[in-house]
Amino acid sequence: MLRINRTLAWGYWLITAAAFELGLFLILDYAPVEKSMGLVQKNFYVHLPSAICTFLAFLVNFVACIGYLSTRKDWWDDLADATARVGVLLCSVVLITGMIWGKTAWGQWWTWSPRLTFSLVLWLLYVVYLMVRSSVESGQRRALLGAVYGIIAFLDVPLVWLSVKLMPDIHPTSIELAPAMKVTLAYWFLPVTLLSLGLIVARYRSNVRSRAVKHDAQVDPAQPVGFTLAGGKLS
Amino acid sequence: MPLAQSVKTTTPAVIRLAKLGKTIDDRPILRELDFEVASGEFVAILGSNGAGKSTLLKILATLTPPSSGELHLFDQKIDRTTASIRARIGMIGHQSMLYGELTAKENLHFFAKLYGVKSPSSRANEMLQTVGLLDRADDPVKAFSRGMTQRVAIARALLHDPQLLLADEPFAGLDEASSRSLEGLLSLLNQSGKTIVLVNHDVRQTLALARRVMVLRAGRKVIDALAGELTVEIVLDAMNGAVLARPVGADIGADVRPEGPVQ
Amino acid sequence: MTPAIRQFITLIGKDLRIEARSRQTLGLVVVLGLLIIVVLGLGLGVQNNVPGVSATAVLWVAYLFSGVLCFEKTMAVERSDGVLSGLLMAPMDRGVIYLAKLTSNLILVFAVAMVVTPAGVLFFGFDLSAAPLTFATIMGLSIIGFTSVGTLFSAIVSSTRLQGGLLAMMVFPITLPLVIASTQMMVQTFRDRNPVGVSSLGILFAFDLIFLTASWLVFEFVLEP
Repeated sequence: MLRINRTLAWGYWLITAAAFELGLFLILDYAPVEKSMGLVQKNFYVHLPSAICTFLAFLVNFVACIGYLSTRKDWWDDLADATARVGVLLCSVVLITGMIWGKTAWGQWWTWSPRLTFSLVLWLLYVVYLMVRSSVESGQRRALLGAVYGIIAFLDVPLVWLSVKLMPDIHPTSIELAPAMKVTLAYWFLPVTLLSLGLIVARYRSNVRSRAVKHDAQVDPAQPVGFTLAGGKLS
Repeated sequence: MPLAQSVKTTTPAVIRLAKLGKTIDDRPILRELDFEVASGEFVAILGSNGAGKSTLLKILATLTPPSSGELHLFDQKIDRTTASIRARIGMIGHQSMLYGELTAKENLHFFAKLYGVKSPSSRANEMLQTVGLLDRADDPVKAFSRGMTQRVAIARALLHDPQLLLADEPFAGLDEASSRSLEGLLSLLNQSGKTIVLVNHDVRQTLALARRVMVLRAGRKVIDALAGELTVEIVLDAMNGAVLARPVGADIGADVRPEGPVQ
Repeated sequence: MTPAIRQFITLIGKDLRIEARSRQTLGLVVVLGLLIIVVLGLGLGVQNNVPGVSATAVLWVAYLFSGVLCFEKTMAVERSDGVLSGLLMAPMDRGVIYLAKLTSNLILVFAVAMVVTPAGVLFFGFDLSAAPLTFATIMGLSIIGFTSVGTLFSAIVSSTRLQGGLLAMMVFPITLPLVIASTQMMVQTFRDRNPVGVSSLGILFAFDLIFLTASWLVFEFVLEP
């Protein structure tokens, strides 16, 4: 069984790597260079799919948190942990690509534009999620508190979105996409999603494994011997 | 006939556990507990540290749910939604469960109101009288000695006249006189019809006080017998896991019918 | 009077009585708020004429830090001597504990706001005369929102061993929509002289409603000893 899993895993990562390679080809050789921004615009192909996957990861985290609270099954917690970690990773990518965009387009590494601010707050919300988890020793408690915070954090996301829309958007970021660019953009969802899913599953399985190891390490103390009475009239 | 066998009773059960287990952080604290406690019984639970006694009492107090199995109190299955049943349970714990900043009277008044006791103020005074602290009613609890705090805690546990009293090592930290006094109070309460479940450390004291004794070891029940059937040696050996085959007295009692072999 | 309401009032009465008796929390929190205002005032170089719209920023920082301290202390009372177990053993809906603690916290935080806000207005020379009611509504709704989340989280944090800055860390990012929305509304009202739109206020209402409900529902899970 382990053998099959390992082969599957290797196969999966090879496919993912190939998908990225193809994507790079598309970016560099297929999609035209955008006239006003030049080469840096191309990080948008990574930026948008990452942003979508970030949101989906946190959505699954929300579901996992609710799942844990209602069923108290540990695998929900393992899933919540995996999706949050990958979500934070993806969100970092979104932030960085967003900042690179901003630096190239408007000469500043940081602007308090709605989109960037939103990404930053999202990132902070879930970094805190990971920190809350890491500050609790007890496994059951950690899962419980993580679930509570995870639910509150996700409920916050639409409110963050609405509130940043109130902020002045001095740098609107809509761009014209030529057909080839649209294809490239659509394609890039594949490698990013493959990578995200792969990382989530890998982390999830690692969580499940370390939980199983910990469980087996609990030595079941020898069954206490209920002693019998010799003689006596107890029947 | 094994001593770990459940002592079954014919009078209505106040507490009924079926295959109850509790796991905390992947460590099983309680395993497959089965027993019943009838109305008016005085049951003591003994065991060395880590045997699961306090956890069991917390579960009986509905403070924490079991991980597996079932708990029935007053013939009702306990799950998340049964808040009203707590009105019939009183608990004395390790900690006082009192607000240090408030006076003894204020503490009792507060809890009386929470429980919906009629005329909370006079009931508070009445209980203070019972535990002999009426003259210190207006002193903040944080100024009390351990013995006095314990007395207020007992008053708090009895405010709402519970049918079931749970006590988790209530003698801890008490001096000789206060201990005797508490023993007397527990006996009196039991005689007036209250069901008492006592977790205790002192084996000798427990055998003298309670009528029925259970010994837990590593989360399992190894003894469940009448106090009269047991000696301190037997209990200590059971707590520490020795195998003992030794003739002990015969009849448990006319109103008790033990059942079936233990596995 | 239903049992729940009676218990609710009893709990609040107990919190306020303890606070009046110990006089610990309120004084500390008010002084902290004032100190923050002063530090910000000096740090921002107020004498160099900071624009009035930074009123929200200054006040938010003061409210958030003193508020978090307040929540920590009111919940710490319940964790000493195992009193929380005493509460949990009463025939009482867990949600009532939350609502009562929330109300006690609100009373304290608003009391602090009553002192800190005039201080901020004074030290910074904020001119709120254009729309004082709008200002009060914005800050009032924001305080309710952040207190509802803070109360829930203070119960979480008090049950873990590591306290320190954990509560602040949890509360701040969640309350960012309130900070953003209220600041933008203040800018609109006081700099641009536009009356505040219903949609903007709607965000504050939505926040309060969503988080009050969510916190109330989830609270009992946090309390298991």
